[in-house]
Amino acid sequence: MTNAPSSSSSQQPGYEPAATPPQVTARRTLLQQTLRDTFTRPGARIGVVWITILATVGIFAPLLANSAPLLIKEKATGAISSPVLSTLRPSDITLAVIYVVTITLLLWKRFSLGQSIVMILAAGLLAFLPSFLLIKSQDAPVYERYRLNEAAGQYEWVVRTIVPFSPNDRVNDVSGTKLKSPSGRHWLGTSIFGEDVLSRMMYACRVALTIGLISTGIAVTIGIFVGGLMGYFAGVFDLLAMRCIEILEAIPRLILLLIITVFFGRSLYLMMTVIGLIGWTADARFIRAEFLRLRNLDFVAAAKALGLPLRSIIFKHMLPNGIAPVLVNASFSVAGAILLESTLSFLGLGLGAEDPSWGQLLNQARSGGTGFNWWIATFPGVAIFFTVFSYVLIGEAMRDALDPKLRKRE
Amino acid sequence: MPEPLLQVRDLNVAFETSRGDVRPVRDVNLAIYPGQTLAVVGESGCGKSVTAMSILQLLPKPPAKYLSGQIFFQGRDLLQLGESEMRSIRGKDIAMIFQEPMTSLNPVYTIGDQIIEAVTLHQGKSGRAASTIAEAALADVGIADPARRLGEYPHQMSGGMRQRVMIAMALSCQPKLLIADEPTTALDVTIQAQILELLRKLQKERNMAIMLITHDLGVVAENADSVAVMYASRVVETATVEELFDHPVHPYTEGLFKSIPKLGADRHRLDTIPGTVPNPQRFPGGCKFHPRCHRMQGDQTCSSVEPNLREVKQKHWASCHRIDGYQTAAVTVPSISHKRQVTAGAATEVSA
Repeated sequence: MTNAPSSSSSQQPGYEPAATPPQVTARRTLLQQTLRDTFTRPGARIGVVWITILATVGIFAPLLANSAPLLIKEKATGAISSPVLSTLRPSDITLAVIYVVTITLLLWKRFSLGQSIVMILAAGLLAFLPSFLLIKSQDAPVYERYRLNEAAGQYEWVVRTIVPFSPNDRVNDVSGTKLKSPSGRHWLGTSIFGEDVLSRMMYACRVALTIGLISTGIAVTIGIFVGGLMGYFAGVFDLLAMRCIEILEAIPRLILLLIITVFFGRSLYLMMTVIGLIGWTADARFIRAEFLRLRNLDFVAAAKALGLPLRSIIFKHMLPNGIAPVLVNASFSVAGAILLESTLSFLGLGLGAEDPSWGQLLNQARSGGTGFNWWIATFPGVAIFFTVFSYVLIGEAMRDALDPKLRKRE
Repeated sequence: MPEPLLQVRDLNVAFETSRGDVRPVRDVNLAIYPGQTLAVVGESGCGKSVTAMSILQLLPKPPAKYLSGQIFFQGRDLLQLGESEMRSIRGKDIAMIFQEPMTSLNPVYTIGDQIIEAVTLHQGKSGRAASTIAEAALADVGIADPARRLGEYPHQMSGGMRQRVMIAMALSCQPKLLIADEPTTALDVTIQAQILELLRKLQKERNMAIMLITHDLGVVAENADSVAVMYASRVVETATVEELFDHPVHPYTEGLFKSIPKLGADRHRLDTIPGTVPNPQRFPGGCKFHPRCHRMQGDQTCSSVEPNLREVKQKHWASCHRIDGYQTAAVTVPSISHKRQVTAGAATEVSA
């Protein structure tokens, strides 16, 4: 018996023969291939760059926009201190540490995905616990304190943050700061309460990114679970679940969110949860369609014939082969969630005045009572536009990367 | 006489459709003994694959339903077992390989991941131990450099390699019965021969029974110990491979043999069986084969009475009213423990 020919002579052209050193051939799964194809497209790159900028600005906002100076040297004692540190909350520190670790791991590319996730979580926990224990709850901050002290000549020198105003600093020490158009002091103008618009916009990056990612995360999780079961079992369960989805899809989202905010008050978490809880239907449809296709494929039958448990067949063998359309859809739903939050905030039913968000700033553009305040409308509007646009670009690129007709053969 | 490893008794399977039930498997009786190869032969849609899928209960229910019959495996009726008991038999005691090696492996995992998952599940081994077993399984099916191949993805392999991997995966848990559903149909002829050779070798080493589903009579002649010929959801003839090839008695089996080109014979047009396979939803009355049968001579028996499987000769069952002695033959349960004495190649005059 000769079995050698099958292992060497019947290879496709371009295949590395066994004689060459191992690890030469690319070992990429469909998912990896898709992600790689996605992020080599210029559109997706623009999107990723913009979202990375937003994330960086959002996470380091306390160091970029703060009424407390970065460093001061007091004249009386000669001591150098950093007032900015005392304004940080445990969440600020944790986020910054997670961000730094994540970027390091992404650039280093030494560890597997699983290892990286564990390391990121560990770093987050390590940063959160001490900061949570050490940082005492702060009194209501007195924003103008350092400005007044500086004016009184108490400091030898002061290093300020790029934007020297906290988002909720209404600059009470200076009169007539409300609704000022952009100037050297307030680069993007001030809000109806006299707050710095740029500072608020920087902090609002946090809301914009979290609401999109968390609500989409909730939606995708539910959608995969329900859609997976529908597609796998088909039949009566599929029929009933599909009718439930149709009922759920008939509920107008905006109106439901309005009612919930009216009854349960304004809360970012509530909003994210509700957007997630009603947004999973599209994901479920996608996964269902994929599973209806996959369940008839040979490798699923082979997995069953091997006696693998249902959990493994659905989540390990079918899901990775059918998740791609959901990823595409997810990038669009992130964009949708950001728009939805902005809409609610614009209607005055979003977050409270203490939590800066772009939609809330837009709302101020018309509620100032002095006509159209162009700077409050334009800058947050442009930020919303670019963010939604970025996610849509990423989604488009992913869709193209998944289209077998467009995919180039390697 | 040993007990059969697997015995299918009067199996009836139906598919519910919007236009009434379709019966892809009717009164099927099969027996496989340890270490034996039973070939199930027939045209597309005759019920071979459905019978195989029924043994592992891989048919989705609904639309499939088991109307009656038993499937005894080592004394237990598989049709009575619950899903979790069935799962512990699949892969461990009865394994299956499929027709299409190109789509039978999950594209997103390395073949090592896939073999190791089965080994971990059925043998309780993990980590390095499972990896060693997977490597040995690949080496057994003649894959060079198995340690490196474990880390490769299915798309990096050719069809023949993938079928070897499928066999390695199916055999990694030492099953007692291997159901091979047209294992070589999608492969080219040289690879076909290698795969069948490999199956024979592994069968001998492990005393494993094989249920070989095929429509290639050459494959049957070279590999089978006993043969069951299926037509229109029934077994129409079953015998040892030598008996069947030397003395086919059913007109359908005869027709199959006549439609194969023979080496050295005068060249003329090949004989064919007239007509086409009947639609399962509109089977003819009486014998399902009678509209295509050359023995049919205006006799009402063939078109009104459905013949059942009778032992027309010693260890040779067939269902046709026109066979000499059929009316007086006994209705017995087909069971052939015979193993071929001849080596492969003895029946080459029918090889395709």
